[in-house]
Parts: sequence; C-alpha cells; structure tokens
Amino acid sequence: MTQSRTPVLLIILLLVPALIGLVVFRLYPIALAVNDSFFNVLRGNSVFVGFDNYVALLTDSAFWNSLKITLWFNLLINPIQIALALGLALLYVQNFKGVGVYRVLFLIPIGVSLPTAVIIWRIMLSQDGLVNGVIGIAGVPAQPWLTAESLALYSIIAIATWKGISYWMIFIIGGLQNISPEIYDAARIDGVKAWQRLIFITIPLLRPTLLFVLVADVSINFLLFAPIFMLTQGGPADSTNVLMYEAYKSGFVFGDMGRAMAIIVVVVAILLVIVGLQFRLLSGRREAR
Amino acid sequence: MKTMKIAIVAGLVASMLAGTAMAQDKTLNMIVIEGGDTTAMQAVADAYTAAHPGVAIKLQPYPFAQFFQVAELRLRSKDAGIDLVYVDAPLVASYASRGFLSPVDAGISTADLVTSALDAGKYDGTQYALPINNSAQVMFYNKALFAAAGITPPDGLTAGSTASQAQVDELASAKRWTWEQVADAAQELTVKEGGRTTTYGFTVEQFGELYQLQPFGESLGTDVIGPDGYTAKGYLDSEAWTKAATYWANLYNEWGVSPKSLGYGEAAQLFGNGKLAMLAGGTWNLPGLTASGVDFGVAPYPYFEGGKVLTPTGSWYVGVNAASANQAEAFDFASYLTTSAEGTKVWFDSLQQLPTYKPLLDQISTGADFDAFPQDVFRLGVYDSLNTAKARPVTAAYGQLQDAFRTAFVDIANGVPVADALASAVQKFEAAAARVAP
Amino acid sequence: MAATTVRRGVGLGLRHLAYAVIAFIFVLPLWWAIVSSLRPNGEVFADIFPFTAKALLPSPLTLEAYSGIFERGFGMIIGNTMLVALITMVAGLIVNGAAGFAFAMFQFRGKAIILTLIIISFMLPFEAIALPLYTVTQQLGWLDNIAALIVPSVANGLAVFLFYQFFSQVPKDYAEAARLDGVSWLNILLRIYVPLSIPTCISAALLLFIFQWEAFLWPLLAMPSQQFKVIQVGMAAFQQQYQTIWNQLFAVSVITALIPIALLLPLQRYYVQGLAGAGIKG
Repeated sequence: MTQSRTPVLLIILLLVPALIGLVVFRLYPIALAVNDSFFNVLRGNSVFVGFDNYVALLTDSAFWNSLKITLWFNLLINPIQIALALGLALLYVQNFKGVGVYRVLFLIPIGVSLPTAVIIWRIMLSQDGLVNGVIGIAGVPAQPWLTAESLALYSIIAIATWKGISYWMIFIIGGLQNISPEIYDAARIDGVKAWQRLIFITIPLLRPTLLFVLVADVSINFLLFAPIFMLTQGGPADSTNVLMYEAYKSGFVFGDMGRAMAIIVVVVAILLVIVGLQFRLLSGRREAR
Repeated sequence: MKTMKIAIVAGLVASMLAGTAMAQDKTLNMIVIEGGDTTAMQAVADAYTAAHPGVAIKLQPYPFAQFFQVAELRLRSKDAGIDLVYVDAPLVASYASRGFLSPVDAGISTADLVTSALDAGKYDGTQYALPINNSAQVMFYNKALFAAAGITPPDGLTAGSTASQAQVDELASAKRWTWEQVADAAQELTVKEGGRTTTYGFTVEQFGELYQLQPFGESLGTDVIGPDGYTAKGYLDSEAWTKAATYWANLYNEWGVSPKSLGYGEAAQLFGNGKLAMLAGGTWNLPGLTASGVDFGVAPYPYFEGGKVLTPTGSWYVGVNAASANQAEAFDFASYLTTSAEGTKVWFDSLQQLPTYKPLLDQISTGADFDAFPQDVFRLGVYDSLNTAKARPVTAAYGQLQDAFRTAFVDIANGVPVADALASAVQKFEAAAARVAP
Repeated sequence: MAATTVRRGVGLGLRHLAYAVIAFIFVLPLWWAIVSSLRPNGEVFADIFPFTAKALLPSPLTLEAYSGIFERGFGMIIGNTMLVALITMVAGLIVNGAAGFAFAMFQFRGKAIILTLIIISFMLPFEAIALPLYTVTQQLGWLDNIAALIVPSVANGLAVFLFYQFFSQVPKDYAEAARLDGVSWLNILLRIYVPLSIPTCISAALLLFIFQWEAFLWPLLAMPSQQFKVIQVGMAAFQQQYQTIWNQLFAVSVITALIPIALLLPLQRYYVQGLAGAGIKG
C-alpha cells in the first residue's frame, strides 16, 4: 500500500552515495579489467584478440586441472566453515560461569591478519615444527603437512578455517539476536528437544543471515589464494593450484594479463551461478518476528 | 549529505598532508626496495644532489616481498610518477620487451663495468639497464660441528687469518670442494635423535630457486633453456639436469641431510643457531652470521666432479621508466650511481655488496682493508665474478622459467620423481612462454 | 539433591573441558607469537627446529622487540590505521546501511539488476582491479592522500548486502503503521529501524574495520611516497631481502591482533543478550 506513495527523492538520497562509490571504485575498474581479457600485449602494444584468450583456455590443461582443484577446495571449505562458525556461535552465546574467558579467546583469530596467520601456521606445520612435536608425544609419526600431495590442500583448508570461523561467527551471532527468545521459551514448554530446536527453529529463522554468510564466504573462498601463494605456490605437484593462483601467476609473474583476466572472468561466472542457486534455495523470505 | 562530510574530512586531512611541496626545479622519483637498499640509495642520492643543486631525488621504498608486484602494476599503468626503476637482473628482458624501459643513453661510458654484469642488462642487443652491484655465493661451514664429527672441513677463509688476492685465487681455483664431497661430509654431519633431525648437514639458502641452483645443471654442461629463450625441451630435461636434480632429490630424501621448504632467511637462522653444518648462501649473510657468534669459515661455492666451475651471479640494476618526463636527468643519476667513482663508492660503503665497477674491484683486491676476515671474502667474490660467474638466461619469459623451475625442484625435494617433475616443468614453461614469445 | 549437585558439577566440568580444548586451538598460534615476540631475534627458532616444549616459554626473555617497533614509529602507524579504519567504518555504516534500507523497503525499477551488480562488486579479487583503480585514483589526484585509502572503501557491496538481508527480515507493518500515523521516513529509519539493527551494525562495522585493518596492496599502491603507513605495510618491512626481523614481526602481530578484540568486547552486551535459548543445551 505504500507503493502508491513511493518516496522517489528519499530512495535516491539513500542509494546514491553507495552507488556512486561502487560504480567509480569497483564496477568501472571491473569493466576495465574485464576488457583486458580481450587483449594481448605484444612488444609493448596491446593487440585486440577477441575471445582468443577464452578459446585458449579450452585446451589449456593447467586451467582444467586448476578448475577441478578450485571446485573440490570450495566444496569442502565452505560447508566446513559455515557449520563450524554456526557451532561456535551457539557455544559463544551459552551462559555459564566462566564463559566470559572463552568468549574472549574465541575472538582471537579475528585480529590476526591472514599473512600473519599463514607465517605462524607454516612454522607450526613444518617438518620439525610444533604440531609434529605435539603429535610426536602421542607417538604419531611426523606428517609432511604442507609438502605432501595428499595433505597440503587440507592443511590450507584448516588454516583458512582457523582464521575464518571466528569472523563468520560474529555475523551468525548478530543473526541469532534477531530471533525472538519467546519462540524458544514456547518450544521448551512444549518439550521440544535441544537438537530439534536447532533444526526446526534456529536454522530456518537464521536463513537470511546464513544466506549472507554463505554468499560472502563462498565469494571469499573462491578468490582465496594468499595462503597458497605463501605456503605451497600451487604445489606439491600442482595439488593446491587453484584458479585464482593460476590467474595471479599469469597476470603478475608472467606479464600475461589477457589470460589472467580470462580466468578471473570464468571464476566470477561460476561464482554467479553458485550464488544464484544459493538465493533460490535460501531466500524464501520469512517473517522472523 | 553524508558524502559531503566525508569529502570535507578527506579534504582537511589532504591539506594537512600537502605541506611538503618541492622547491627544486626537477624531482626524480625512484622506486627501490625498503631496508638497506633504500638507506644506501639515499646516501648516493644525497651525494648526488649536493653536487647537482637543481635536482631532488625522492625514493619510494617498497617491501621486498611486494616490490615486483607493485613495480609491475605501476610500470604497466605508464605511471609518469616513476623516473628511475630498481630492476632485478632477470626482469630486464621482461620489462624491455614490454616497452617499460628506455634504452640506455649512448653517451654513458660503460667501459669500467664488469662485462658479464653489463651483458645481463641487455635485451636484443640493446642496453636497457645498468648494474648497480653484483652478488656472489659462497659456502659457509660451522667449524665446531666439523670438529665434533671428526672430519676435515673444506679449505676456506676463517676468522683470525688474512688472505691476499693471490691466495684467494689459489683457494678458488685449486681447492674448491665438489658437490660429491659436500654430500659425503653432510651425511656424517647430520645428527638424528629419535627419528628427528637435530643437526642438518647442508642446505642452500634459497630453496629451489633458479638463481641458486642454475650452476648445478649448467656446470654439468647443459644450459637450463635454449638460446632462443623459449625452449626447455632438451635442456631442463637433459641428462645433465637429470643428474643435478637427482643429487638435489637425494639431499632431501635418500640422505636426509637438508631441511625441507625453508622460507627466506630461515636457513641463515638455522646456521646461526648452530643447527646446520654447511650453508650455500650469499655473502650478504656475513654481518648477520658474524653477529650470531657462531664460529664459521667461508669456502668457495662447490661444483660437480668432472664439471665446469660455475657460480651464481647478478643482482640489481637501474633503468629509466619509458614514461618518465625527465629522461636526461634520470640517466644522469643512473650513470652517477653505476659508472662514477664517487657514486659506486658511496653505494659500496653503505651496502657492502660486491661491486660491478672495476676500479672498485681492484681496490678490494689490493686494499689492506680487505686482507682480514671477513672482508677477505669479497676477494672470493672478485675471483668468481671475473672467472666463474654465469648469468641467468636472458628471456622475456623469465618469470615463467623461474616459476616452473622452482615448482619442479620443490616437488623433487618433496618426493616427486625427478623425470616427472622435469618433464612437467618443461611443458609448463614452454606453454606459458609461448604466449609472450615475440 | 547431592547427586544433582555432583552431576551439575561434572556437567560444568565437561563443558569447561570442551570449551578449553577449542580455545586452546584458537590461542596456540597467538601464544607462540607472543612467546617469540619476547625473545631476541636470533633465538626465535632456537627451540622450534626441532621442536621442544621450551618453545612455548619466552626464554631468554626480552622486551627489545617491543621497544624496537616503537622506535620504528609503529605507534604512529597503528594510529594511522585506526584513523583510516574508524572513518571508513562510520562512513560505511551510514552509506551502506542507507542503501540496504532502500533496497529492502522499496520497490523500484532496475532493483534486481542493481542488486546483481552490487553482488558482482565483491566477486572480483582486489588484485584484478588494482591497476584500473590506481588509474582512477591518479586521475582524481588522490595519490599520497589519505582520501585514496578511505573513500574507495566506504561503499562496500558486502555491507549493503548484509543490511539488505537484515532490513528485509523486519516486518513491513512497523513502517506502514508509522506511516499511517504520519511519521516521516527519516524518523522511521532512525527511530525504529536503526535501534533494531544494532547487532547487524556491529557485524557490518567489523566487516568494514577488518577490511581496512588488513588492507595491504592498496595502501602500498595509493601512497607511493610511503609517508603515511598502515599496519600491514609497516609489517612487510620486517621481511627483508636477506633477513627477517621475526621478533618484531610477532610483536606487531600480537598488538594488532588484540586491538580489534578490545574494540569488540565492550559491544558484547549488544549481541549476546537473551540468546541463551538459541543453544543446544539449557
């Protein structure tokens, strides 16, 4: 019913600052960058090559191998991070004597920047490092966490998860705050068990927040390559060579921006499809209160 | 309304920061690596501006790990805010091939520069960059660990002794250890306790890097890539390189004398803590190792038995950004930095890196300041740079080569079969290089 | 009765154990960073390679890393970063909150397309847009100006999306009832929606703050003369070409890890009140 009196001026005022910022500092640079994918640099001159850089990817074995790794990596890391962040959020909001100390400690990874986290974990996971020292006490032989084809990708998932879940936890806690306590009280009086409350009340009512966390987390993880750059440089035997790292090498190490941007456009296209699916599945709007 | 506020705040801060306008006629901006290099460059710039009052030189220091990325981005954007560029030797070709650098002014006399260093600044026969200094690799050894293992260390330069250039030449030409000797000693020096290694026998400073390992295969007779700069088949997968890579594999797996995947600087830390018996590394480690208190000697960089003696070389160059509006002034400073007696002296005194300016090398050979340890190590650098130095290949696809090479050698250390790793490196390099080959 | 007390005691003990194990995993790396920051640089790796339990104790103990970082001007650098992060945060909350509100409350033409573009805006890696963004900033004449650090980061697609998700959840009846009473839209936003959105604002503030707290490549590019440094840029200087100053690197890591937590803790009461029921137990 308010539609008939849509306050056009207000909408413009509310939207314009954000839209100008996003257009000038994000979307316009993005358009320029995408444009690069249609050019190659030869002898200092940009040459328009149409879709050649994309066509070349079709027969590029490094690209296909990276694509497989990227999809596998994301298939694992996103559900793990979101499930653990949700679990951590539920632990965080419990009230009992002494919980305050844990609440502080659960926040620690938020302030540790990713490069710092990676430096610390690399030393801890090295052959003679702390982690192998600790498992050695239990009699487990030292593991080549970052140097074995079978382990490196999972070690990177573990490091990124350590760094990420406290951060996502905060968003989920914010979402939990939007659920009315009376719903839980009513359920408890009706004798609904704790795990049932989680499945049938908390998660459904948390859907808008979970959609945000899912979209944001998936986007960030698809773009993630700093730990790979710093820890394994795509190895051992290409086992951690995700698409973003392949693109980074092309663009910044090899001076081949055409191929780099073509790869990135493919990554964004995949991301858009995935995010579209997530919207379909999760955005059935519900009234929370 | 809200953006207005932000704009006002931003404007205020901006006007606060803008108080440093230039009074001179010309300002030259130079990008350079943060740390000692910046300190040394500032010293040279101060000396230069004292003699040239119309010119100011502003350094823009960037951290080492990000320097290449930032330089790449800014040069690619044809940023006129950069006049002078600090260039790593192997990147000269990549920059030159993409038109980032101006050809060096023909009026600059380069007769006093070491030829091999000068050649590494050329692309397609044209000089694009001038060498600022050189680098030399040696082998550091821990005397106490050798004594404890009861084996004789290599001949070398040690604390408390002096060495003339003739004596150093004799050491470098006749008493250089082979990699086979290093392997034998390393196996005896490595100490394992309960399945864990507490002392390592040997490691190289830069794990898997082409700079450090190029002499491995090339000393056995085959270059890492072909003369065209884009072919690796028949080179990196040759018999010579297979033998070199097998030696490398054994260090980590068969013999277990080297620690895996050390980051930058960690090998020197390990040596300084007395947990490593031999370290093949740069002379730049001397100040740090002297400060660590470990009792060490310095031997020449080894070679393979029956092979040719070759040693790593090449370091930093200076070039002039093609987009700069101050070409003449920029070249004048570049020339002062690299080909003048004063400029090179100020640089050397500040950074203590092996010079490429021949009169300065002569001073090292004859000056009494360089008789005693550790300064006499520079004489080893002089010998190697004039006799055994082998520059990295000149190719616009150097980044591709370095990456494929490092990937292969890291994989080999981690247990990937040598033949597979080298074949994969050849394939990757050639595929990526073909995209930038002219 | 005694039995229930014991059972409760055991339950509380188990609970503490479970929490402690999780906390240990979170804390261990930072603990090691703290220990390393309290050692002389040459001793950082002394008990790590190979690992001994002594590695978890700061011996020999020295504060030289901490005095060293302040001699390097890290007080100023931390102050710079706080300034940039806080301005971005406040401006970002207003700008992105307003946009999220507009998207959630009103129907207008092209909304779906604009929303899609907003989502695309955070799907490209920063490295990919760094060069064009540098060119734009150069044309605006903002290089070496703090505006270059702040203004491009104020509008944030993720934050708009976060607010949009939240405001869409709030029943429209609130606004409609208020409109019928003749309350202006601005008052509806400020009096009804802003108070409801405090937990979401905290999440968005964290997002905007951490973005600047961890910013690295952009400050490096946008401030070529390097007069105004931020934390990540300052820290990069510890990893030099031929050596790394580990103890100072860790000292800065510890300080920069603690600051966001210190800022977040006082806000805790806004986002953990009345939530115990959401849990798995109780």
